[in-house]
Amino acid sequence: GAGKTPTLGGGFHANLGKESRAQTLQNGKRQIHHLGNQLQLNQHCLDTAFNFFKMAVSKHLTRGRKMTHVIAACLYLVCRTEGTPHMLLDLSDLLQVNVYVLGKTFLLLARELCINAPAIDPCLYIPRFAHMLEFGDKNHEVSMTALRLLQRMKRDWMHTGRRPSGLCGAALLVAARMHDFRRTVKEVIRVVKVCESTLRKRLTEFEDTPTSQLTIDEFMKIDLEEECDPPSFTAGQKKLKIQQLEKALSKKLEDFEGEISSYQDEIEIELENSRPKAKGVFANFTKDDSIEDNTSSVLGEEEAEDEELEAAANHLNKDFYNELHEKDRVKKIEDGECKNGNEALVRPPALESLLGPLPTAASLGITESIKECISTKDREPGENTGDGELDLSGIDDSEIDRYILNETEAQIKAELWMKENADYLKEQKEKEARIAKEKELGIYKEHKPKKSAKKREPIQASTAGEAIEKMLEQKKISSKINYNVLRDLNSKGSNTPKKEDDSTDDSTNTKKLSRRKSIASRNIANPVNSVGKR
Amino acid sequence: PLTPMTPMTPVTPASESSGIVPQLQNIVSTVNLACKLDLKNIALHARNAEYNPKRFAAVIMRIREPRTTALIFSSGKMVCTGAKSEEQSRLAARKYARVVQKLGFPAKFLDFKIQNMVGSCDVRFPIRLEGLVLTHQQFSSYEPELFPGLIYRMVKPRIVLLIFVSGKVVLTGAKERSEIYEAFENIYPILKGFKKAS
Repeated sequence: GAGKTPTLGGGFHANLGKESRAQTLQNGKRQIHHLGNQLQLNQHCLDTAFNFFKMAVSKHLTRGRKMTHVIAACLYLVCRTEGTPHMLLDLSDLLQVNVYVLGKTFLLLARELCINAPAIDPCLYIPRFAHMLEFGDKNHEVSMTALRLLQRMKRDWMHTGRRPSGLCGAALLVAARMHDFRRTVKEVIRVVKVCESTLRKRLTEFEDTPTSQLTIDEFMKIDLEEECDPPSFTAGQKKLKIQQLEKALSKKLEDFEGEISSYQDEIEIELENSRPKAKGVFANFTKDDSIEDNTSSVLGEEEAEDEELEAAANHLNKDFYNELHEKDRVKKIEDGECKNGNEALVRPPALESLLGPLPTAASLGITESIKECISTKDREPGENTGDGELDLSGIDDSEIDRYILNETEAQIKAELWMKENADYLKEQKEKEARIAKEKELGIYKEHKPKKSAKKREPIQASTAGEAIEKMLEQKKISSKINYNVLRDLNSKGSNTPKKEDDSTDDSTNTKKLSRRKSIASRNIANPVNSVGKR
Repeated sequence: PLTPMTPMTPVTPASESSGIVPQLQNIVSTVNLACKLDLKNIALHARNAEYNPKRFAAVIMRIREPRTTALIFSSGKMVCTGAKSEEQSRLAARKYARVVQKLGFPAKFLDFKIQNMVGSCDVRFPIRLEGLVLTHQQFSSYEPELFPGLIYRMVKPRIVLLIFVSGKVVLTGAKERSEIYEAFENIYPILKGFKKAS
């Protein structure tokens, strides 16, 4: 009858979802076993790791992540829950992947699966590292000593926040020396996988604890009561203290400076009184008129602004002058001026001639602020203007202008930039040319970055059977088909062409079968008819 | 109000506040300038801009006051980082927008939003991280092999705290200043419970 004719070539999507999942799990299991054996994990651990993996797959945590990373994370999770002495660094070494990348995957996995492994105890690693350092008969003794050292370090708060392997290395080094083994720092770090400076730092920190002062015998018997602070805490406290000291010191310096300058003032006054009157060039400056002109020219720039602004600027200039007055007076050669200034602060002399251009309100950058303070507050408290216009209040345009290049500068920068990015520009031009050409030809496709499907080689086969085999190998249609049978169906056909008569009963079935295989085996004349039920 | 059986936040005993105020260290904000931008043009005419199209598809611009960095994209969207307060972040973003305006683009200032705030403070005593990770396992993650600090993911407010053995605490993930203060007030009594006995 008509019925559903399952096609061989197509229609394999029906079971594809479950097939893919099964395949993923199978693949995962294989990789777990492969990696786990390299770490010498027992079967129970491997099974648990596979369970983790199954959970991860069902939560879609493998999506967008390298399979190897997820596998490594599952294995490490098992190591942590079982308490094996494997480090994440070992896995990283085996896979040649950055340990922090693996760590990221591991943290995510632990969080998603809600599995919280307890913190690593450095004591776990001692037997492993001691074995690798080859202490022979004294292995047990050295390990015991190292363990004792570690306990002491833990009590002294040296292990929090540190890599356990670094502490182990330090403990083993000291223990080895205590038992007359000459293990160098280099040998230890090769085993423990930390940097030399880390090991030295741990040793120094241990040196700072009171326990390091005990003799070997005392150490084995006595346990000091006092617990030290973690080294980072002590360092932080020290830094804080230094900062406070510096602050106090600078304040004291200021006080001293004040004292010194007041002494300077007094000396100056005495000198003034005993000095002869100014003559020549400087005599001009002693006159009041010129001074007035000078000051007005200085302040004249601000004539355009409000009077209040001018008053404020005046006030500031005056303050500035007073400050300078006390500090720099000794350096001044214009004796006449100083004398004048000393007498009356009502008319400040030409500060410009004293020290160059005065700080105006503008150069101090407070023009805007002063304007703001003086003008009435028009602005609403909420700064959100409905239409999204940029609110310019508080922005100094001159400051913004300083961020923009002028013509010549822009040209120079353009030249440099073109040189730097020449490759990129060339690529862009080629890309555009390509797009334009394709548009012309009418075959331009919008999404280029999509990877094209794998192009399969055309199958070369001498017989239909071979062709089917090869195709099935490539496509992997279904695991439910018994490929052997399928193969034999065809080969049997080619071997026994005489059995045509037997199959007349099954003609309808064979005809169906023939249709199924017609795609690949059209050239074969007889064999299909001879196919009987197996 | 009834206390839930499984509290989502660690229960805080009614005690006085810590007296420590976390300092804001970094604010990240975004704003839409609402116009297409020619990045090459901007980069070549601004003093403080860098543009490497091969490496990253945005102009990196910096200003000195407030000391911040901005990423300006060709779509007209902009990210502003490095400010130490919300007001400074807004001012900085407006300054960048003004620069873009002066370079000849009709930049607006739409949808300014603070995306992340980072604060830090010091509780002044050493903290036993191993203990904390045991009692607060559903919130904490402590892997000394990967990172020296304990990563505490508080649920309410939704803040991530990095707690170090020296007593320094970093708080991040906040959209508002109050969240940082609230998170610190929540964590302080817990940290006191794991203070090193001296």
